[in-house]
Amino acid sequence: MSCTVEDELTAYLDGELSAVEAARVRGHLTSCSDCRATEALLRRTLSELSALAAFEPSAGLRRRVLAEVDALPRPWPERMRAWFRPGVLAPAGVVLATAAVVAVVVGERAVTARAEQRTELAVAEHYELLSDYEVVGLSADDLEVVEQLDQLQKEGRP
Amino acid sequence: MLRVAAGDTAAFAALYDRHHRSVARFAHRFVQDAGKAEELTQDIFVKLYRHAGRYRPTARFKTFLFRVAANHCLNEVRKGEYRVRHVRQEGEEDRPVEMAAPEAHSPQRAVEGRELEATVAAALQRLSERERTAFALCRFEGMAYRDIAEVLSASEAAVKSLIHRATLSVARAVEAWQAGAKGPARSEA
Repeated sequence: MSCTVEDELTAYLDGELSAVEAARVRGHLTSCSDCRATEALLRRTLSELSALAAFEPSAGLRRRVLAEVDALPRPWPERMRAWFRPGVLAPAGVVLATAAVVAVVVGERAVTARAEQRTELAVAEHYELLSDYEVVGLSADDLEVVEQLDQLQKEGRP
Repeated sequence: MLRVAAGDTAAFAALYDRHHRSVARFAHRFVQDAGKAEELTQDIFVKLYRHAGRYRPTARFKTFLFRVAANHCLNEVRKGEYRVRHVRQEGEEDRPVEMAAPEAHSPQRAVEGRELEATVAAALQRLSERERTAFALCRFEGMAYRDIAEVLSASEAAVKSLIHRATLSVARAVEAWQAGAKGPARSEA
């Protein structure tokens, strides 16, 4: 029957016990022949294991691993770096600036078109009144007058 | 490793050069087959590259590496199958080899070395997966119990117990081989 110290013998040989625990095991070994035999067996085995042949992978393994890694999609940080390279960033900046200018110009035109459309609708809505007042060649100021025509009419002004 | 996470393949190649032997040795102890060990090693390093972003510099790299390696080997062994994705090219450099131990000079020592290897391999296959992992990391990679505990997500006490049971089991197998095959053979000679 083995004693509880036997469970510590491998750790003792591996130098994994504290100084106090190792001293306790050393002390026990002087008085327990079973543990001494087990300790000797373990010690011999560890020595035998150190003489075992080591597996050496082939040189081709390196090529295969690197080829497989090369074929993988690039990680995000590397993709971002690729995007921010000067060679990519400068043309992209030009494209973006051009797009911004186009957007501003097109936007202004759209706003102008909408304003003109509003004017035309106002003119259509008050066409009869306008013909009465003989308003010709509407400007922005004229538009304001047109929008106020109903109010002016209620107040009895010409 | 942080450079690898950023997609630096040159850093990955350097990492491979430094650690591939350890990983291949570990995988070989796990499956006892050179071809399968190389497949496992390839998978482990590709996985390492793909998940490099998960590495935190607070963890020791070797611990991180063998955690990946141990988990992969355990999973693959549980699946019980290995993919064969490539045909090995002909030529000496592409064949994995088992390096002779320095003292195995004579033919008799070489035979004994192979028999000892087979005895240890058979003993390892009888161990539980966790015992085998702990044993291989300790005996062949020289890792401390504390680091093995991190690899296996176990306590140091549990690792101490795993390694003791595994070492004792292998020791009894080696003792039986020495008493049976080696002993009489030597006396007959």
